[in-house]
Amino acid sequence: MSHDIPLNWFLYFAAASFSIGLIGVLVRRNAIAVLMAIEIMLNAANINFVAFWRYGETPPGASPLSGVMVAVFVITVAAAEVAVGIGLILLCYRRWHAADVDRYDSLSG
Amino acid sequence: MPPTAAFTINFRDFYVLAPEIVLALWGLVVLLYDVGWLRKLPNASRQQKLGWITLLGVFGALIAAIHALMVRFNLYGMQELFNPAWMDFDRPEPVIFWGTLAGDLFTETINLFLILMLLVAIRLSMAWSFTDSWGEYFALILWSTVGMMLLAAAEELLTLFLTLETMTICLYLCTSFEKNKRRSAEGGLKYFVYGSVSSALFLFGLSLLYGLTGTTELYAIKMVFTPETGDSHIGLAGNVSGMTALLLMLVGFGFKVAAVPFHQWAPDAYEGAPAPVTAWIATGSKVASFVALMKVLLLGLAPWSNHMRDVATPGWVGVVAALAAASMTFGNLAALAQRNLKRMLAYSSIAHAGYMLVGVAAAGYSSRHSESAGSVLYYLIIYGFTNLGAFAVAAWLARDKDSDDISDLNGLGFQYPGLAVCILLLMLSLIGMPPLAGFFGKLYMFMEALNEKNPEGRLTMLWLVGLGLLNSVVSAFYYVRVLKAMFLRPAEGTVVAPAGPAIALPIVVGTVVALGFGIYPAPLVDLMKSAAVPMLDVSGELIGSSLERAMWNRARRAPTGPPTDVKLELPASVAPQAGSTAPQAESTPPPLLPGTGKGQGAASKKGGGMGKGAGKGAGALKKKGQGKGQDASKDAPPSDQPKTDSPTKDAEKTEAPKKNESGSDDLKKAAPKADAAKP
Amino acid sequence: MTYLFVFISVLGLLAALGTVLARNLVHAGLFLVAFFFTVACQFVLLEAEFLAAVQVLVYIGAVAILLMFAIMLTRNVQGDMTTTTSRTWLLPALVGGLGLFFVLMFGINDQVGLKGRMTWASASTRPEIPRAGEGKPVTPRSAAINDMGRMVGREMVTRFVVPFEVAGLLLTAALVGAVVVAYREGDDAESPRRGIQPTRLHGAVTVQATNGHADGSDLPSTASVTS
Repeated sequence: MSHDIPLNWFLYFAAASFSIGLIGVLVRRNAIAVLMAIEIMLNAANINFVAFWRYGETPPGASPLSGVMVAVFVITVAAAEVAVGIGLILLCYRRWHAADVDRYDSLSG
Repeated sequence: MPPTAAFTINFRDFYVLAPEIVLALWGLVVLLYDVGWLRKLPNASRQQKLGWITLLGVFGALIAAIHALMVRFNLYGMQELFNPAWMDFDRPEPVIFWGTLAGDLFTETINLFLILMLLVAIRLSMAWSFTDSWGEYFALILWSTVGMMLLAAAEELLTLFLTLETMTICLYLCTSFEKNKRRSAEGGLKYFVYGSVSSALFLFGLSLLYGLTGTTELYAIKMVFTPETGDSHIGLAGNVSGMTALLLMLVGFGFKVAAVPFHQWAPDAYEGAPAPVTAWIATGSKVASFVALMKVLLLGLAPWSNHMRDVATPGWVGVVAALAAASMTFGNLAALAQRNLKRMLAYSSIAHAGYMLVGVAAAGYSSRHSESAGSVLYYLIIYGFTNLGAFAVAAWLARDKDSDDISDLNGLGFQYPGLAVCILLLMLSLIGMPPLAGFFGKLYMFMEALNEKNPEGRLTMLWLVGLGLLNSVVSAFYYVRVLKAMFLRPAEGTVVAPAGPAIALPIVVGTVVALGFGIYPAPLVDLMKSAAVPMLDVSGELIGSSLERAMWNRARRAPTGPPTDVKLELPASVAPQAGSTAPQAESTPPPLLPGTGKGQGAASKKGGGMGKGAGKGAGALKKKGQGKGQDASKDAPPSDQPKTDSPTKDAEKTEAPKKNESGSDDLKKAAPKADAAKP
Repeated sequence: MTYLFVFISVLGLLAALGTVLARNLVHAGLFLVAFFFTVACQFVLLEAEFLAAVQVLVYIGAVAILLMFAIMLTRNVQGDMTTTTSRTWLLPALVGGLGLFFVLMFGINDQVGLKGRMTWASASTRPEIPRAGEGKPVTPRSAAINDMGRMVGREMVTRFVVPFEVAGLLLTAALVGAVVVAYREGDDAESPRRGIQPTRLHGAVTVQATNGHADGSDLPSTASVTS
C-alpha cells in the first residue's frame, strides 16, 4: 500500500508551501492576497500535524489523534479568521476604496 | 467496535471553569438583550444600560473567581460548606479536562486579576459613545476575556492556540469598532494582518514541536526533552528543526506581546483602537500572552532554556534576552519621539514587555524558577492596573477633545488637581519611582535576575539589568513630559470636561494599586510567588491525574489488559518517569508536590510556601547534568528500564479502583494524604 | 504511490506559487482552491480521509468562496483587477522565505530522534495499523485511523471539550463581529468621496479626486493621476 512514502516528503511539501506562503505575505500588497497566503501557511502547518500524527507514536495517556484534532481546530480557526479578515478588509475598502495594505495612511506607521 | 475507554469528565472540572462559563454565557445574554429589547433606544442610553448589564455579569464572574480562591484557602469553612460528594474540594485536582487545562491556585489568581481588570475596562468603555453596536462590543470584550482566562490556564498546545486565537480575533474586531474613524479600521486591519501571520508562524512552530515530541501536552513535552528520562540528545544540540520550532514560536509570542522586532502592529493598533479597547489590548491581552509565554517556555521548553550545558547551543534564554534588550531600548527611544499619548503609551508598553522578558530570561536561567516567574507575574499585574489608568487618560482626551496628543493635557493639573495627582502617581509608578508598586515590580524582577549563581549567566543578567535600569531612566523623560504638560503648561483652548466616574475609576484604581502595593507589596508578591509554583510545575501532578487516569481507564475497560500499542509506547516518553515516582512514594517520604501543599486544608500563604519549596526541588529538573542530587524525583529513573516498571504500574492499576472510585489519579500524588482525608 | 505523491505535491506547489504570484486576484483564488484540493489529497495519502472531507467542505466550500466574494466586493474602482507586488519587499521576502525553506529542509534532514524515536529522515514507513475486521484487538490507535470520524467526535466531547466549546465561541464571535464590522451604515462617515485623498504609492502620487459630482451621484469616478 502506501507505506512507501517517507515522512520527509510530506515535511518537504509542508515546508515548501509554508515558505511560499510567507513570501506571499511579504510580497503581496493586496490584503485579500495576503489573506490567501496566510491560508497557505496554515495548511502547511496542518500537513505537518497530520504527517507527524500518522508517522509518530502517541505516548500513553495522550490523545490517540492529537495531530488530527489540531488540524480540525486549525481549520475552524482559519474559517473564523477569514470571515473576520474579510469583514475588516471590506470596512477598510469602503473607507479608502482600495484593498492594498500600503494605501492606508491614517496612522503614521 | 473501538474500545470505549471510560471517558469521564469530573463535574468539578466545569465548576472550576465557572468564571469563564459565566462570562461566555453573559456575552450571549448581553447580545440578545441588546437585540431584543434595546434596539429602539438612543445610542447613549443603550450604551449605559448594556454597560451596567455587562458589569452585572462580570460581577458574577468575580464572585465565582473569589469563591474559587476562598475554597482553595478554605476561608470561612468553604470547603465544608460547599462540598457535595462529587465535588471533592478538599482534594483539588491540578489539571482538569484531561490535562488540557490547569485548575490550580495560579489560574484562580490570574482569573481574579483579569476579571478585576475587565471590570475597570468595561466601566471605562461606558465613558463615551464611540460606536453604535454596543451589544456586540460588550459581548466581544467578554469573549476575549474568556479567551484570555483559558489561555492563562492552557496546559496543552491545541488549547493554547485556540484560546490565543479567540482572544486576538475578538480584539481585532473590537479595534475596528469605532466606525466613524478611519484610523480605527486601519488599526484593526493591521492588527489582524500582523496577528494572523504571527499565529501562522506560531502554528508551524507548534507543528514542529509536535513532531519532535509526539504530544501536545506541555508537561509531556518537557518530559520528552528532559535528559534524565531519555538519552543524551538534548535540547537544541545539532537539532536545527528544534531550533526552528523554538524560533517560530518565539516569533509568534513576540508578536502577541509586542516585543521588538515584531512590534510594528502595536503602535498602529493602539492608536487606532478606541481608548478602552486599547487599554484592554495593552493590559488583558498582554497579561494573558505573557502567562502563556512563560508557561510554554518555562514549563514545556524548560529543558531548552539552559545554555550552560553546551555553549554552542544557546537555548531560548539567549534569544529572549536579546528580544528583551531590543524591546527595552527601542521601545523607550521610540516613545521619546511621540507626540500622541496613545502612541507613546504603546511604545512604552513595548518597553515594559522588554522588562518583563528580562524577568522571563532570568526565570529560565535561575534555579529559583518560581520566584523569578512570580516576580514577573507581580510586575504584570501592577503593569496592568497602572496602564489601565494611563489609557483612561487617553480615553478622557478622546472623549472631550477628540484627539489624544500629549499637548492636549496642558493645564489639566490646575483644573483637576485631584485626578492629576493620581495621574502623577501612575506615571511615577510606570517609571519605577521608589515608593510605588512599579518600583517594587522592577526591583523584584531585577533582583531575581541578579540572584543567579552561575558566573556566566550572571554576567549576561548583569548586562541586561544594567540596560533595564538605564532604560528606566530614559523612560522617565517621556513620562515626565506628560506630567510637564499637566502641571507646567497653561491650558489653551477648550478645557476638558470633568472626568466622570467612568474615567476616574481606572485612574483611581490604578493609583490605589500603585500606592497600596507600593507601600505594602508583600501580600501580592507572596501570592504571586506561590501562584507561580503550580504554573511552572504541573510535574507529577499531570502524571498523577490525566495520564495515569487515562492509562487506568483503558486498562479497566479493555479486558485483555493494556492494549498492545500502549505497551509498545511505554518507553517513549512518560513511562520511565511515571514509574520513577511510584517506588519513591513508598520508600521515601513523598516529595512535597505542590498539589499536596495546596491541598492541605487551610493552606494560606504558608501552604504556598511549602509548595514553593517543593517546586524548587522539582523545578530544579532544569539543572540536569550538573549532578545535583538534591532532587528526589531525579534519582530514581536513570537505571530504570521500561520493562521493569510496568509491573508496578499494573499493580497500581489494580489497586486504584479499591482505593478511590472517582479519583484514581490521586494515588501517586498524595497516597498517604488521600487516606487521611478520606473518612 | 510515490509517483502519485510527487504528482500531487508538484501540482500543489505550483498552485501555491500561482496563488502568490498571480496578478489577477480571481486567478489567485482559483489557484488557492487547487492548492486546498491538493492538501486534501495529501490528507488522503496520510490516511486521514475524514480530515480530507473536512478540508474540502470547509476550505473549498466555505473559505475559498468567501474569499471569492471578497474579491468581487473589493474590485478596484479603477476597473483593473490586477494587483502588483511590492518591489521594496521583494528581496527581503525572497531572502526570508528561501532562507526559512532551507533552514527547514536542513532541520528536517538533520533532526535528531529524541528518546530513541526514529528520526524524521529515517521514518520511511509508517507504523503498521491493523485494518478493521482482521481479528486483531482494536487499539485506540487503530480506531483512530479506521474509524476517524467517530474518534474525532469522541475526542471533541471528552478530552478536547473545552477547545470544542471555545471553537464554538470563536465562531460566534467571528460571526457577530464580522457582521458589525462589515455592516454598511447609511453614511460612510469618512468615505473618501468627501474629499481628495492623495495616497502615496511608491513614489508616484495617486490622487483620487472623488468629489467632483455635484449631482451627488453614487458612482465615484476616480481619476487616477500618476505623476
